[in-house]
Amino acid sequence: MKKVTIYSTPTCFYCHAAKDFFAENNIAYEEHNVAADTKAREEMFAKSHQMGVPVIDVDGEIIVGFDKKMLTDLLVPVK
Amino acid sequence: MYDLIIIGGGPGGVAAGVYAARKKIKTLIITDGFGGQSAVSGEIQNWIGTESISGYDLAKSLEAHLRAQTDIDIVDDDLVAGVQKKDNGLPGAGFSVATRNGKRYETKYVLVVSGSRRKKLGVPGEKEFDGKGVVYCSTCDAPLFAGKTVAVVGGGNSALESVVDSLPYAAKIYLIIRSEVLRGDPVTQDKIKNDPKVTILWNTMIEEVKGKEMVSGVRIKDVKTGEEKELPLDGVFVEIGLLPNSDFAKDLVKLEEHGHIMVDTKTMATSCPGIWAVGDVTDVLYRQNNISVGDAVKAVLNIYDHIKKS
Repeated sequence: MKKVTIYSTPTCFYCHAAKDFFAENNIAYEEHNVAADTKAREEMFAKSHQMGVPVIDVDGEIIVGFDKKMLTDLLVPVK
Repeated sequence: MYDLIIIGGGPGGVAAGVYAARKKIKTLIITDGFGGQSAVSGEIQNWIGTESISGYDLAKSLEAHLRAQTDIDIVDDDLVAGVQKKDNGLPGAGFSVATRNGKRYETKYVLVVSGSRRKKLGVPGEKEFDGKGVVYCSTCDAPLFAGKTVAVVGGGNSALESVVDSLPYAAKIYLIIRSEVLRGDPVTQDKIKNDPKVTILWNTMIEEVKGKEMVSGVRIKDVKTGEEKELPLDGVFVEIGLLPNSDFAKDLVKLEEHGHIMVDTKTMATSCPGIWAVGDVTDVLYRQNNISVGDAVKAVLNIYDHIKKS
C-alpha cells in the first residue's frame, strides 16, 4: 500500500475535498496542519517548492493541489 | 437531444438543476465542480436560513441537493468550451455544446451560469511567484504567513475579508488600494481600520513582484504623484475583482463592455433566443449567492413556459 501524506490548513476547501476523496476510496493517509506546525510547513516547501495547499505526497510523488485524476490513477485500483 | 443544458455548478447552476429536474425537463448540467466561487470561503454568514456556514459545507449541501434529484444528467468533471447554433441558426433547431474533454451535446435550450474568475494583477513577477508568495485564496493560505508581512491588494469586500483572514496570523498587513475609497461593507472596514497591524496605502498600485525563491517584496507606485518605492514583504494577496466566464458564448449573446452577458431581468433571457443566463456572468447589478439562486429559478420557470408553448 502506498504511503499518503497530505499537508493542509484547516480552512482550505481543496484540502477537505482531497480528504473526502481519500475517505470515499478507503485510502489511509497522514495529515500535517501546516498552519500550526512550522516544521511541517518547511517540509512541505522542501518537497513542493511552493506554499499553496494542499500538497499530497504519494510514496515520494508530489502533487500540488487536489488533482483528482492523478490521485485516482495513483491510488484507486482499476476494477 | 436535451431540452436544457445548464452550464455551471455554483448556487445558480444547482438551483436551476433542482427546478428543472422537478419540472421533468430533460436536462444535463455540465460543471467542473460544485459550490461556485464561495466554495473557498472560510465562513459565509449571509446565506439565508443559516447563521454561518463554511464555503465547503455550502458546496457539499448544494451538490447533495442536486444529486438527490432523480431526473437530471450530471457531468461533474468537464468545462464548456463553445456553444454553437445548430442548422445555421434555424429557429427551434437548438444548440450544440462542445466541452474541454472533447464531448459534444445537443440541446434545445441553454442556461449559462458559468460565474466569474479572479482578475490577476498582470505585473512582472506575478506568475513566477504564484504559490511562492502570491496568493489568490486567503482563506486557504493566510495561516501560512504567521509572523510575516503581507499585502492585500484591492478595495472591495474580498480584499477587506482577506485582511480579516490575515489578522490572527500576519505580523503586519498592508492594504494596497489604487483609489481613496474602500468599497467593502462598513462592518468589515471598521474591523480593519482600527487594528494597529494594518496600514492602508491609498492611491497605490503594485508595479512588480520581486524575490528569489519566494516573494521578498513589491515595487509600488503612487498613482497621483508617480513616485515609486520598494516595499519589503513576504506575501501578496490579490483581491482585485472578477472577470465573467463568458468567452465561450461571446459570438452568440450580447455582452456589455466588461464581458458580462446582458439579460432581461424579468426572464433572464439573453439577446439570443433559446439562451438564458444567470448570476455573476451576467450584467446583474449585485453579485450574491442568494440572488443567483432566485434568478436561476426565474430562468427555469421561463424556460418551462417556452417548452409548454412549443
